[in-house]
Amino acid sequence: MHKTWLVLKNEFRTVVLRPSFLIMLVLIPLAGFLVTYIIGLVQTSPETSAAQTVENIFTSPQGNLPEGFVDHSGLINTVPNEISSILMQFPSEADAHDALMGDRIQAYYIIPEDYIASGQVVAVRKEVNPIQGFEQSGVIEILIAHNLLGSDPMLAQRYLSPAQIKTESLEPQPVQREQGVLAYFLPYIVTFLFYFVIISSASLMLSSVTNEKQNRMMEILMTSVSPVQLLTGKIIALGAAGLLQTMVWSSAGLLLLRISGRVFSLPPEFQLPVSILVWGALFFVFGYAVFGGLMAAVGALVPNLKEASQATTIIILPMVVPLVLLNALINTPNSGLSVVLSLFPLTSPVSMMTRLAATSVPFWQVALALLLLAGTAVLVVRGAAGMFRAQNLLVGQTFKLKTFLLALVGKA
Amino acid sequence: MATIEVENISKRFGTQIAVDDVTFSVEPGEIFGLLGPNGAGKTTSLRIILDIFKPDSGTVAILGGTMSEDKKDRIGYLPEERGLYQDIQLESGLTYMATLKGLSKPEASRRVSAYLERFDLGEARKKKIKELSKGMQQKAQLIVTLVHQPELIIIDEPFSALDPVNTQMVKDLLREERNNGKAIIMCTHQMHQVEALCDRLVLIHKGKVMLYGKLEEIQRMYAAHEVIVRTLVDLPTDLAGVERVEQENSTAHLQLAPGTSAQSVLRELVERKIPVEQFEIAMPTLDEIFIQVVQGQGESA
Repeated sequence: MHKTWLVLKNEFRTVVLRPSFLIMLVLIPLAGFLVTYIIGLVQTSPETSAAQTVENIFTSPQGNLPEGFVDHSGLINTVPNEISSILMQFPSEADAHDALMGDRIQAYYIIPEDYIASGQVVAVRKEVNPIQGFEQSGVIEILIAHNLLGSDPMLAQRYLSPAQIKTESLEPQPVQREQGVLAYFLPYIVTFLFYFVIISSASLMLSSVTNEKQNRMMEILMTSVSPVQLLTGKIIALGAAGLLQTMVWSSAGLLLLRISGRVFSLPPEFQLPVSILVWGALFFVFGYAVFGGLMAAVGALVPNLKEASQATTIIILPMVVPLVLLNALINTPNSGLSVVLSLFPLTSPVSMMTRLAATSVPFWQVALALLLLAGTAVLVVRGAAGMFRAQNLLVGQTFKLKTFLLALVGKA
Repeated sequence: MATIEVENISKRFGTQIAVDDVTFSVEPGEIFGLLGPNGAGKTTSLRIILDIFKPDSGTVAILGGTMSEDKKDRIGYLPEERGLYQDIQLESGLTYMATLKGLSKPEASRRVSAYLERFDLGEARKKKIKELSKGMQQKAQLIVTLVHQPELIIIDEPFSALDPVNTQMVKDLLREERNNGKAIIMCTHQMHQVEALCDRLVLIHKGKVMLYGKLEEIQRMYAAHEVIVRTLVDLPTDLAGVERVEQENSTAHLQLAPGTSAQSVLRELVERKIPVEQFEIAMPTLDEIFIQVVQGQGESA
């Protein structure tokens, strides 16, 4: 125990005093404060909220212009009042074209003669907006529905939105957070932050083990401490370093949000519930133990960091899956896929945090995910300790997935 | 009680036999040479002794039994693959390694400080280890090996990268440790250092023990039937029992006939009033024995 503590202290001190670690620790919050300060400066009106500032960045100037239409079908008799200010009728395509080129409208639609038979409507725009794409505003559907259904606004509305299903369950149901541009970005920020912190902490473990191999320290260490003492000391120390990093960044983030709230009015939806921080700490600890353990096992197997590159790619892959499926996770946080990803131990640290940031997740799912993750962490650390054998540590070999997996379960 | 008892250990890596039925023991208060050409199985044997590797067969008793975590603190090991944390200061790096050997932080600091002065590294104590010369790093490594005053010292090529002054200092240090009752195993290719320091030795070749015993006995075993005589006059060619005389300046190598003793030759030289300045039984150097054994001309011990 005493020697584990000695290893732990030495590892922790070595990592946190490393210039690159200190720079990252300070630089990221500093960048956040800088961005906040700049946004505060550029805000012209005290009424303009941060959300609006960001929304303005993502809204094209053309988005405020009305749209037009040309009717060849003879179907359109009236334009409903609610869209009359944003949808202008033109007698001919030439007139609509002139209005478009003169920047009086952002787009126009042509309803052809055979519309009833074909159902096709042509939309004409000057250019494709790279952010918004060729997105339709939806007013043309309202116009056609209105006229098809005899100008009855109620019928038109039911036709366009036939059923608004409200599910009532006997169990308390998750509530989707209110939408808004900043609220939309919150799960993304949490996801990437979490991914980065786990991966960087686990990578510290790999570089620590391979560094000792390259410094040829292993043989001396093997005759001073046991492999388990060495691995335990390293895992706790580097996990603590990662946790320190997370806490400093999170504290800076919370401070930033508070300062931001004073500098410009922050929407209430862009605030992290305290429960996410608690779950975050737990998912970090066990997520790190799994990936740190796997990295330690790789470090024990390969002779140097270069040889480890292929292995790290394979290990990180499950962490990348939630990033690839991030939109699905955020937009449908309670779908089957999202639930599976947030329960499967290798994807759960990131996926569950994404869901927690995007919606309210049933408690049993979070608890089960944590339990599965903790169980996996125990198995991985035990397997990695088995690989921290002198023969692996001293000899080193080229990484082969099959050998690695067999060694991890103690069969190689 | 022997400090180390190695009995019939064998170790195989894949199809290659690294150590093949090796047996020897090391006593307290002796410097024991573990010799052999590159790839002979010396390092593997040491790693088995230190419980870094497990033998396929055979047993090792160290400091009175099997290896344990506590016993690690009673052993000082200078491995073939030298290693120190390169990016940290010399003094703090050595102190950390000393604490891993069971010393308290203050005691480790005190001893490291004393050793740094003794090894003439006092001025480099705040330097990063990677900034030190090879010789200085070698001395730092020796400090790690000795700082916790181990009962058993295992050193692999202790003189590499050392200049003659430091070599002498390390030799004196090893003799001092031996006189204090420590058991020392020394691996080296420098045979003259073995001759100067070792009391007993084992020579391993291709994993097998080729020679084992006291240095003098091994030398006698490989001695040719020759005497070396230094005189100021030419030796007579009709000395009884002498088959051949090879004269080099004032020194002559006399090859004796079977059944002739060195004593009888000396007696005849005295009786014939030949002024003898030096008379000794010709012993082969350890270098010669080593080459002879490794080239397959030696006999298994």
